[in-house]
Amino acid sequence: MTLSTEATTAEYADRALAGGIKPRRWGSWYIAEHRFRGMRAYYQTILATSIGNPLVYLFALGVGLAALVPQGIPNGSGTISYLAFVAPALLATAAVTVAAEESTYPYMMGFKWNPIFFAMNAAPISGNQIANGMIISIVGRILPTTAIYFVVMVLFGAVPSSLGVLGILTATLTGLAISVIISMYTAGIEEDKGQMAMIMRFGITPMFLFSGTFFPLASLPWFLQWIGWISPLWHGTELGRVLSYGYPEPAWLTAVHVVYLVGLSVLGWMLTQRVISKRLNK
Amino acid sequence: MPPATRRGVLGSLYAGNARSVISRGLLATRSTNYLVVLSGFFEPIFYLLSMGLGLGALVGTVATTTGQEVPYAAFIAPALLAVSAMNGAVYDSTWNVFFKMNYSKLYQGMLSTSLGPLDVAFGEILLALLRGAMYAVGFMIVMQALGLNLAWTALLALPAVLLIAFGFASLGMAITSYMKTFQQMDWIAFVMLPMFMFSATFYPITVYPVAIQWVVQALPLWHGVELVRGLTTGALSDAMWGHVLYYVVMIAIGLVFTTKRLKALFLD
Repeated sequence: MTLSTEATTAEYADRALAGGIKPRRWGSWYIAEHRFRGMRAYYQTILATSIGNPLVYLFALGVGLAALVPQGIPNGSGTISYLAFVAPALLATAAVTVAAEESTYPYMMGFKWNPIFFAMNAAPISGNQIANGMIISIVGRILPTTAIYFVVMVLFGAVPSSLGVLGILTATLTGLAISVIISMYTAGIEEDKGQMAMIMRFGITPMFLFSGTFFPLASLPWFLQWIGWISPLWHGTELGRVLSYGYPEPAWLTAVHVVYLVGLSVLGWMLTQRVISKRLNK
Repeated sequence: MPPATRRGVLGSLYAGNARSVISRGLLATRSTNYLVVLSGFFEPIFYLLSMGLGLGALVGTVATTTGQEVPYAAFIAPALLAVSAMNGAVYDSTWNVFFKMNYSKLYQGMLSTSLGPLDVAFGEILLALLRGAMYAVGFMIVMQALGLNLAWTALLALPAVLLIAFGFASLGMAITSYMKTFQQMDWIAFVMLPMFMFSATFYPITVYPVAIQWVVQALPLWHGVELVRGLTTGALSDAMWGHVLYYVVMIAIGLVFTTKRLKALFLD
């Protein structure tokens, strides 16, 4: 090794600044890459659940439970098979499940258990970029999951309309909306007191059960229907139904679904950025 | 003063002191995760409300194994009870045990005292049962209030639920002793989901072809669901003794297996 005496302090500073240019520009994608590489640790279960879950749910609900509802579900002037009715709901639910999984523990990991977010932030990567990277990686996991789900739905003959393929995007949007709402909460958790279990138990599970997933929302007593109206999952499911089999609903309501999901996504994304940046700069 | 050394066939395994393992578990629950434990009660209630009210409106009545027509909510409520017994027992005997085994090194500490592996196994399993019993009593009260207990034999569903929980807890702990990473733990959920969906929980298994019916009937949850459903709807049959026997065997295998594993891991 030769000792370089040539370089001056100014040159070192230039070099250091030059090294920061790329991370400053592409930092969000670096963080996403970091997460994707982290997912390799559990890629086997990701793969198994991505393929296994649609098989199990579509078979159990679309085929098994459908035997108890042979008359189908009222749809405008006619009816639609129970399988076609439940499939778009299960697609959106799959997106939400992955969103919840990836928006809880990974934040606890990054901030608390293995506080790598602070290290990233000490390098020239901003809090907003960390937020973006996390959200990109979450969407990056939801999209293939819903795509695989959709393929299985087609194999089951559960998608009457070719427009149904757009359900992959609306389901992913539903997942994104949920993910950023959970993220802005989990990114702020300082003390682990079982909040994750609570999110699942009092957030995700009731949302899954009371969002018109297994039956039209109107079958529920009126005092439970409001859960559906505020639930992103209900909006995502109804959108999926419109696309998949032409569920008749007024155009303004379809527009409300889209606006609601996009609105939540944008708002939640901004708030997640804020929570993360604030915590890192404390 | 009793002698300091243990005697008898189980002398090397059992110090007759499982209660100290239980009291430690209760103390830990009270100080750290009682909210998580308490809130577990609500999950089956949510399922009952959603499926019973919403889906029940579409389905009407369903025939049980003995041919009795019951309202849909009365059909799924006992299944949810059996499932919550399974979930509680499996959660307690897998994730909890996994942490205690690999992270807090709790069992190493316990086994370096006079406690033996059978004390630890018994203590942990009874702790899981206590939690299961708590959920079951709560759920049975809700069922009673909604008029879903159709016969007096519903009272016997309580011991039945404990039997189911005991079976899953003892076997779950044995399986967990082989798990080394979080990722391996995910496979437990992967096995439990299809069992939950296919075990005559939401619809009778007669909708399947005969070959699939056999597979389902080989799985433990189906026996639990049938047993509890028979008791709460009053559709009794001799087959129920078979379900009980299934769990007795499962418990015996699980206990022997768990004790052996703990001994192999920490004492040999």
